[in-house]
Amino acid sequence: MDIQSYITLGFSIALTVQNILYCFLGVFLGTVVGVLPGVGPVTTVAILLPISFTLDPVSAMILLAGIYYGAQYGGSTTAILVNIPGEASSVVTTLDGHQMAKQGRAGPALGIAAIGSFFAGCVATLLICFAAPPLAAIALKFGPPEYFSLMLCGLIAAIVLARGSILKAIGMVVLGLLLGLAGSDINSGVRRFTFDQAGLADGIEFVALSMAIYGIAEVAYNLEKKEVATQVARHIGRVWPTWSDIKLCIPSVLRGTTLGSILGVLPGGGALLAAFGAYTLEKKIASPPRRFGEGDIRGVAAPESANNAGAQTSFIPMLTLGIPSNPTMAMMIGALMIHGISPGPRVMTDRPELFWGLIASMWIGNLILVVLNLPLVGMWVKLLRIPYGLLFPAIIVFCCIGAFAVNSNAFDLYVMAFFAVVGYLCLKLDCEPAPLILGFVLGPLMEENLRRSLLMSRGDPAVFVTEPISLAFLVVAAALLLVVAAPAIRKQREQAMQE
Amino acid sequence: MSIRAPKDFWSGVMFIAFAAVALVAARNYSLGTAVRMGPGYFPMLLGGVLAGIGVILVIRSFIVSGEPITPVHIVPLAAIVLAVALFGALLQRLGLVLTLAIVIAISAFAGRQTRFVEVLALAGVLAVFSVAVFVYGLRLPLPIWPQ
Repeated sequence: MDIQSYITLGFSIALTVQNILYCFLGVFLGTVVGVLPGVGPVTTVAILLPISFTLDPVSAMILLAGIYYGAQYGGSTTAILVNIPGEASSVVTTLDGHQMAKQGRAGPALGIAAIGSFFAGCVATLLICFAAPPLAAIALKFGPPEYFSLMLCGLIAAIVLARGSILKAIGMVVLGLLLGLAGSDINSGVRRFTFDQAGLADGIEFVALSMAIYGIAEVAYNLEKKEVATQVARHIGRVWPTWSDIKLCIPSVLRGTTLGSILGVLPGGGALLAAFGAYTLEKKIASPPRRFGEGDIRGVAAPESANNAGAQTSFIPMLTLGIPSNPTMAMMIGALMIHGISPGPRVMTDRPELFWGLIASMWIGNLILVVLNLPLVGMWVKLLRIPYGLLFPAIIVFCCIGAFAVNSNAFDLYVMAFFAVVGYLCLKLDCEPAPLILGFVLGPLMEENLRRSLLMSRGDPAVFVTEPISLAFLVVAAALLLVVAAPAIRKQREQAMQE
Repeated sequence: MSIRAPKDFWSGVMFIAFAAVALVAARNYSLGTAVRMGPGYFPMLLGGVLAGIGVILVIRSFIVSGEPITPVHIVPLAAIVLAVALFGALLQRLGLVLTLAIVIAISAFAGRQTRFVEVLALAGVLAVFSVAVFVYGLRLPLPIWPQ
């Protein structure tokens, strides 16, 4: 089959009534949690993970994906109108977006955010269509050494791109890898790190771990912050930007889309990094450089395009290599595994309906989002009146029900309670939890591929450098480490992270 | 000598603690050879690396200064964690509705929200929603009432 017939197949699946409904539900929930500060797409995806296994795999993926990219739309709404980034990836949108709102131009800011996001979403989806199949074809030829080096490279990239101290990020990855090893060892049957608990025989439950960190621990952390009284910009005005606004924004949207698409693919990347990168780039090269930070519409257009593009393209490594580039993708992998599908290059050939159905649903989802967001913007803003005091008990309850539902086992709740404390400590100590989640998912895979590689080479570790593709990954990994270690670049990185 | 970077110091302590547990537990798993790695090989390797990182963090925290740790609010954290554990312990005995009421009451206490009517209303709404969506809608095997 060629790409065209695959796309037709994708739409035939995404356009069934059931899947349109799940797509709508996904982007709707995504917008809601995007608007609400304190509840993010990662938390929501974690909460919905156990529910998704009552659905068929395609619908589950469509639903979860919708939440992720839907949140990118919702996040901009609050960033512009209330100066609160509903989502971390909308932080930079507050800079110019809220200034525009203060000047009475909230409408065009919202408009360009939605248009830019839609354009970027379409381009990035197309990119997945064309980039994923050849990538998967290459990945099919990978043996254990290539996979091991690729995962190592991915983890190092995630460390380099994590916020804060690199040493702590490495520690979190290693801790994640260790936690991932708990349970029965596949080769020897030895139970590792189970401490004689039957509930740990199959390892630490991924759903419980991720909800502990992104649900419960975040609630405990958020409760310490003081609630900020919200002031909503009253005058929204017409949403459609003027022709001169659009003309001004075209290059910014294009730049944002390009940069966002690239940054989304990188491990540790995704929507957040894309938005920051795009804004920084825009400030440097947009001409005329005029007045960024004072309500320049391009300061909304570029990061909003970029975060949506990044949200979409971060699916590429997950779908083709089975390797997550950020925690949301790690949860998608978790969702696939709940359904007994092992993510990797075979998914595309063995389950084309899953891959292409998901891609097609992204187009539909983006379209629904534009319709949901522009005319209904007033309704979304009302959501901000929900106080966190009513919201967080709901998060806790849903996390509890979800954690229990996976195995109908009370033990998973104790696991969740334990890791909630660990997660809270990590947040307090500025240890990014994302590398831990990535390490957790990759831990068993890395061990397995390391074992197989050494078995193949009769114990000679040189196999990782004699295989050309594996060597290439290791060179990239080493280069990344060197780059971060270089003092000049480290300073720049610290500056960029602070902005 | 005093700790200059408390966040680094305690992160280091946390890593060392986890590494210690891992190394102690893994000492009974056979290491195997490089050709046939035993179940202990990778855990030992990772445990060693983690301990090393922890030690570096701790040492560095005496030399390079960093931000202080914001105060830990122990009561809300403890209440939330207790609520989660209680959910596990009580669900199969008390059923979803009563367990939710207890969990929400404790959570509300964590949020210092003590208006009784609000908590009651919230518990009611969440109980109805959860039973409708999770038990009837998604057919999750959760008991509704005490058994």
